[in-house]
Amino acid sequence: MFECHDPLTLSPSCKNTGLGDPAGRLEHVLGWLRDIDRWFLAEVLPHAAAYRAKAAYLCGRDNAEDLVQDAYARVLKTPDYRAIVTPRGFVLTIVHNLALERLRRANVVRIDAFASLDMLGVADPAPDAFAIASGRSELQRLLDLIDALPAQCSRVLHMRKVQGMPPGDIADALCLSLSTVEKHIAKGLALITKARRDSEVQWEEAWPAIPTSRSVMPT
Amino acid sequence: MAGHSDIPQRHADLTDEAAGWLAALDAGSANVVAFEVWRAADIRHAVAFAEVAGTWRDLDALRGAQGERRAALETPSPPKAVIRPNRRQILRATGSIVTVAAVGGGIAYRAAARDMAETRVGQRMTVAVTPGIALDLNTDSRVYWRTGAPVRLWLDRGEIALLLAVDHRLQLLTPGGQFQLDPGAYNARLRGAGCELAVLAGGISAGSTTRLGSGDVALVTAGQVRIQPREDLGGVTAWQHDTLVLNGESLDYAVAEMNRYLPNTIVIGDPALSRLRVGGSFATTRPAEFLRALRSSFGIRATAGPSGEIVLTRA
Repeated sequence: MFECHDPLTLSPSCKNTGLGDPAGRLEHVLGWLRDIDRWFLAEVLPHAAAYRAKAAYLCGRDNAEDLVQDAYARVLKTPDYRAIVTPRGFVLTIVHNLALERLRRANVVRIDAFASLDMLGVADPAPDAFAIASGRSELQRLLDLIDALPAQCSRVLHMRKVQGMPPGDIADALCLSLSTVEKHIAKGLALITKARRDSEVQWEEAWPAIPTSRSVMPT
Repeated sequence: MAGHSDIPQRHADLTDEAAGWLAALDAGSANVVAFEVWRAADIRHAVAFAEVAGTWRDLDALRGAQGERRAALETPSPPKAVIRPNRRQILRATGSIVTVAAVGGGIAYRAAARDMAETRVGQRMTVAVTPGIALDLNTDSRVYWRTGAPVRLWLDRGEIALLLAVDHRLQLLTPGGQFQLDPGAYNARLRGAGCELAVLAGGISAGSTTRLGSGDVALVTAGQVRIQPREDLGGVTAWQHDTLVLNGESLDYAVAEMNRYLPNTIVIGDPALSRLRVGGSFATTRPAEFLRALRSSFGIRATAGPSGEIVLTRA
């Protein structure tokens, strides 16, 4: 599929060597996550689209991401985060309350903006509406995202994550420095993370939002 | 409104930064202390890192989906040996032992009882002991370890650097004593019957009463802890960059330090030279530079001895 060398065949110009057990290194990176990060990944982040949708509904799309990031910060500062029974509902409540705070700080706010908040309460606007509904599997979507990366970046990330090759072996196979391999992996990972976020935004756009005139910018 | 339009850009920047850190951790090139400082500096950094780590984890499923990982684990692959002439090599043992994640020169294997990693003179090696615990071996060093709670690691010979991620602790056993290491970054070097410990970040419990904190350097002999004033912690870790840092130490000390990395050692042929004071940074992989500096600064001549050693005399 890719025009890469056999990783076990070193060309004389290659100077990097691979690692023994790639599986160990894959686990190694996730080992840098703290307990609270693991909880955040498992319980909070999977519902990011719902938070952004609600934030966009209440404060407008331009402010949605900032509002959600503020909500994340509040969650991660919660001392007894393990006691949160429904993290999704908890974050949505924080988003709601933060939106309310912003509305109160705003210089000019239409009364009906507050009214819409009251009507919404803290209910989840669409509890099950954000699952992937395109009919394509998540794995295929991830493969598509890798294929959509710049050529060399795509090749490196495919070798790392699909073929499971250690960075040193990739450097050998492509005759790149380890540093360059690292840069390609970082770039690809960032682009895919952003692309997944953007696809959630597109999904949000399919949902009704309150008219722009109701959106309130903090001052 | 300019501030609002900057917000998405800021998130994108943080994602780039977080992905850079993750890739560096994956490649083993990250300064872990700097990473922890970055993550702790702003809770949005922690969020961004968790998000890219989530993408990283999800991408792992691609291997499982294609069945390649399972096949790789279940099908014995031929022994893989990749050699860097004269510098580094990785050997994969055969039979009942398998390799552990390691890079650089030396040998690492996992056996039924204990895991072991070892370097010869002039080699350096990085080992991923378990997820969240990384180990660098300096020249002529050997360690054993056993996973569990906590992970136990025996420093049998030489010098190591240890990186323990958050939530990871380790029990270090040396001829000088036993220590409990908190998450952080450490350097441990055997010196005679003792062990010199440096805490770059984190903390060490030595016995029930002694506690070493960040920035402390201590020599522990027969369980007795002696804190040593040391201002240049960078000098302690310089070996990880193949560098020897000297700050006015005597020439015999400097030569002994350089000899740790050399198969053909340097010998001081004139006792009067021993007490010369030497300063500077020298590449441990390029002893010729060290010898040239001695000649240009002190007029010291280096000649080959009958057994391959390098003899220093006054010119």
